[in-house]
Amino acid sequence: MNASFAITDFPDRLSPMVVKELRQGLRTRLFAGVLLTLHLMLVLLTLMSGGAENATVVSGWFDGIVTLVLCIIMPLRGFSAVADEIKSGTLDMLALTRLSAGRIIFGKWAAIASQSLLLMLSILPYVVARFVFGGLDLFGEIAALFYKWLAGVVIAAVIVALSTQRQFWLRAVVVFLLLMMIGAFSAFSFMVMTSMGTSTTSDSMVTFFTKSGGGSSALLVVGMAAWAIFFFLSLAATRIAPTASLLSVVKRSVHLVMILSLLLLGWLTGAGADMGMIAAGVLALLMIDALTERVNEVPSVYAAFYQRGWPGRVALWLLAPGWVTGLLYSALLVALVAVYVGWTRSVEEAKLVAVSACGTWMIAALVQLFSTRKSRDLLPPFIIFWLFVNVVIAILGIPLMASLSMRSATAWFTCALPQFLSSGYKTAQAGDKAALLQLGMLSACIWPAVLLIAAVFAWRHARAARQEGWRMIHGKNGGTAV
Amino acid sequence: MDRSQPAVVVEDLHRSFGALKAVDGVSFSIDHGRVVGFVGANGAGKTTTMRIMATLDSPGSGRVSMGGHNVVHHPAKVRRLLGWMPDSFGTYEHMTVLEYLDFYARALGFKGADRLRRIQEVMDFTDLTPLADRMSNKMSKGQTQRLCLGRALLHDPQILILDEPAAGLDPKARVELKNLIRILAQEGKTILISSHILSELGEMCDSLLFIDKGRIVHHGDAESMVRGTETAGETLVNVQIAGEPAKLIEWALTAPLIKIEEETKRGARLRIQSADDATLAGVLRRMIQDGLPVLDYHREERRLEDAFIDMLGQIDRNTFKAQPPEGLPLKNTEDAK
Repeated sequence: MNASFAITDFPDRLSPMVVKELRQGLRTRLFAGVLLTLHLMLVLLTLMSGGAENATVVSGWFDGIVTLVLCIIMPLRGFSAVADEIKSGTLDMLALTRLSAGRIIFGKWAAIASQSLLLMLSILPYVVARFVFGGLDLFGEIAALFYKWLAGVVIAAVIVALSTQRQFWLRAVVVFLLLMMIGAFSAFSFMVMTSMGTSTTSDSMVTFFTKSGGGSSALLVVGMAAWAIFFFLSLAATRIAPTASLLSVVKRSVHLVMILSLLLLGWLTGAGADMGMIAAGVLALLMIDALTERVNEVPSVYAAFYQRGWPGRVALWLLAPGWVTGLLYSALLVALVAVYVGWTRSVEEAKLVAVSACGTWMIAALVQLFSTRKSRDLLPPFIIFWLFVNVVIAILGIPLMASLSMRSATAWFTCALPQFLSSGYKTAQAGDKAALLQLGMLSACIWPAVLLIAAVFAWRHARAARQEGWRMIHGKNGGTAV
Repeated sequence: MDRSQPAVVVEDLHRSFGALKAVDGVSFSIDHGRVVGFVGANGAGKTTTMRIMATLDSPGSGRVSMGGHNVVHHPAKVRRLLGWMPDSFGTYEHMTVLEYLDFYARALGFKGADRLRRIQEVMDFTDLTPLADRMSNKMSKGQTQRLCLGRALLHDPQILILDEPAAGLDPKARVELKNLIRILAQEGKTILISSHILSELGEMCDSLLFIDKGRIVHHGDAESMVRGTETAGETLVNVQIAGEPAKLIEWALTAPLIKIEEETKRGARLRIQSADDATLAGVLRRMIQDGLPVLDYHREERRLEDAFIDMLGQIDRNTFKAQPPEGLPLKNTEDAK
C-alpha cells in the first residue's frame, strides 16, 4: 500500500481537528474562488495606485475589499461549522474520540483563523508594492491589516459559537444583526474620526489606529481579542460537551482572572475609570454564558468538588456547571465591578452598572418563566428573549419616544427596562436624575429576585445528584450533602 | 477490563423525551465475547438505549456500565473500550478514505508510524486499501459502511455497538458485513447489533434482545424465541399451486383444521392444527381430490419474524386483558376476573 506516503501532509503536533478542517477547507471552491478573486482585484488596484490623483479612491477600495474578505467572508465560513456535524451525526463520532468539546470547537475556529492568516500574508506583497509606488505608511498599513485579521478571527469565534445552534433562522438573524452592528460601529468610528479633525482617507485611519493608542493600547486590544475568542469558543464548547464535563470551572476561573486583571491594570496604570467600564462590558458578555448553562444532575460533577474539602464546597457554589451557580457567580462579579466603578468614577455610575446587570438577569428570568425547553440548552431562548427585549422593544420604543416632546418624560420609560436605564439617565433633566435612578433600581431589583426564587427550586431539584456525589466521596455514612 | 463481570450491564434504564417514554425500565447484561442482536420496531427504544450505552445520551434513571465503568460517571473510560457505528454513516466532503481514517486515528491518539500501521491494518481488514484515494462521500453504501466499521475499529475496542449496520445494503454487502462481524466475534469482541433483518441476526448472534415500547420483552437465543412462541400441535405448511392462488385460498377457507397464515405469490402458507404426519398427508390428499393443481407442499420451519410478531401479539393481548381501554366492555366474565 502506498497510503503511508500520501498521508504525511500535516505533522502530528497539529490538532487533529485543525488537520481535518484544513484538508477540507483548502479544497473548497469557496476558498479557491475567494483567493483568486482577491488577488485579481488587488493586482488591478495596485496597478491603478501609481497615479497620485486616484490614490485615495484606490486605498478605499483596497481597504474595503480586504475588510470584506477578512472580516465577513472568511468568518462566515463557520456559519454551519458545528450545526452540520450535529445534523450529519458526525459530532457523536467525534465525541467518542479523545477530542474534548473544547478541542473540537477550537479546531473549527483555528482552521478559519489560519486560512484567514494565509490570505492576510498573501496580501502583504501588495501592501509593499503600494508603499513602493504610492509612498504609504508601510508599518501603519501592516498594523491595520493585522487588526482587520484580528477582528475577523474574533467574528469567526462568534460565528463558530453560533453554529452550535441547530436553528438556521436563529443563526441567520444573529449574524445579520452582528453585521449590522459592525456596520454601525464602522460608521460611528468614521464620524468620531471626522469630528476629531482627521481626514476621511484610509491613510488617516491607519494613523489613528496605530499611533494614537501606542503600544500598551495595542496590547490591550490583542488581550481583549484573545479573551473574546476564548469566551465564544468556550461558550460553544459547553453546548456540545458531555453532561459530566467540568468546563464551567475553567471558563469561570479564566473570566474571573480577566476581570481582576482589568481592574488591577486600571489601578496600576491610573486608568481605573476606563478599565472599570471595560470590565463592565466583559461582565455583560460572561453573564450570558453563566446564566444559560443547564443545571447539572450528574453526581460525579459534584463529587469532584466535594473531593477537595471545604474549598471545593465553597467553589461548588460559584463554579459548578449550571445557571444557579452562574447567578451567584455573576452577582459576585457585578458587586466587584460596581464597587470598583464607584471607587474610580462615581456612585451613580456604579448603580447604573448594577442596573444594567439586572437587565441581563431579567432576560434569564424570562427564560426561566416562559421557556418550554428548560431541560435543554438555555442559550436559544435567551437569544430570542434578548432579541425581543433589546431589538423589538427598542424599535417600537423609538417612535414612541420621538412622539414625546418632553425629554424628561421620555427618560422615565426606561425605568421599566433595566438595560435602557443608563440611556434614560443620560437624557434626563438634572433635577430628575436621582429620582430616576432610584426608581430604576427599585424596578430592576424584581428580576434578580425572580431569578433567585427559580434558582432555589432548580437547586433543590438537583439535590439528589449532589447527595449521590457526596456519597461517592464520603461513603454511605458520610452525612448529607449541602 | 475486568472479565469476571459482564461486559455490559444495563439496570432499570429509563429515558423520556417530554411525555414520551422512549426507554421504560430496560435491564439486561451481556457477557464478554457474545454477539447479541437488538431487535425492535422503529421507535421501540433501540437507538436511545444504544446511545446511552455509548455515552452519547444521559439516562433519566437507572445504571449502565460498560466494561465495569459507569457511562455517566466515567464516560472517557467507557469510550476507550467502545466502538460505535451509528445508522447514519457520517462521512465528510472533500476528504479521501485514507484522510478520513487518518483523522480519526489522530483523534484517537495514534501518532507517527503507529498510526499508519493501524490505518493499514484496518484498511486491509475492511478491504478498503484499493479505495484509499477515493473521496469518502463518493462511495457506494456498502463501501461507506465498511469505512464506518473501519473507523469504529481503529482503537481496537473490546465492545462494539452497531446500530442498523445492514440498513440499505445490497445482498453482497450484507454477506460481507456478516463475514466481518463473524471474524470480530471470533476475536472475542462483545458485539451488540440492532437490525430489522431478523433472519440474519438469528444466524449471526448468540442471543437476541427484543424490545417493544421501551421494554425488553425477550432475551434469549433465536431457537428459544421460536420455540417459546410456538403453539403446540400446529404445523406450518407452504403450498404452491398451478394457476390462480385464489382457488387455494377459497378451498382453505372452507377446510377444517386449516388457517391461512399468509398469502404468497403462487399459493399460501397454511397453519394446520395438527402435528400428526398422517393428518398432514390427509390434507394433501384432500387438496388433490378437490382438484387443486398442487406443485409444492412442504412443512416449513417457523421463522424468527413469525415468532416476533406472535410475541408482540401476545403482549398486546395480555396488555389488553390487564388494562382494558376505558369505555370498552369486557368480552366475558373470565376477562372481567
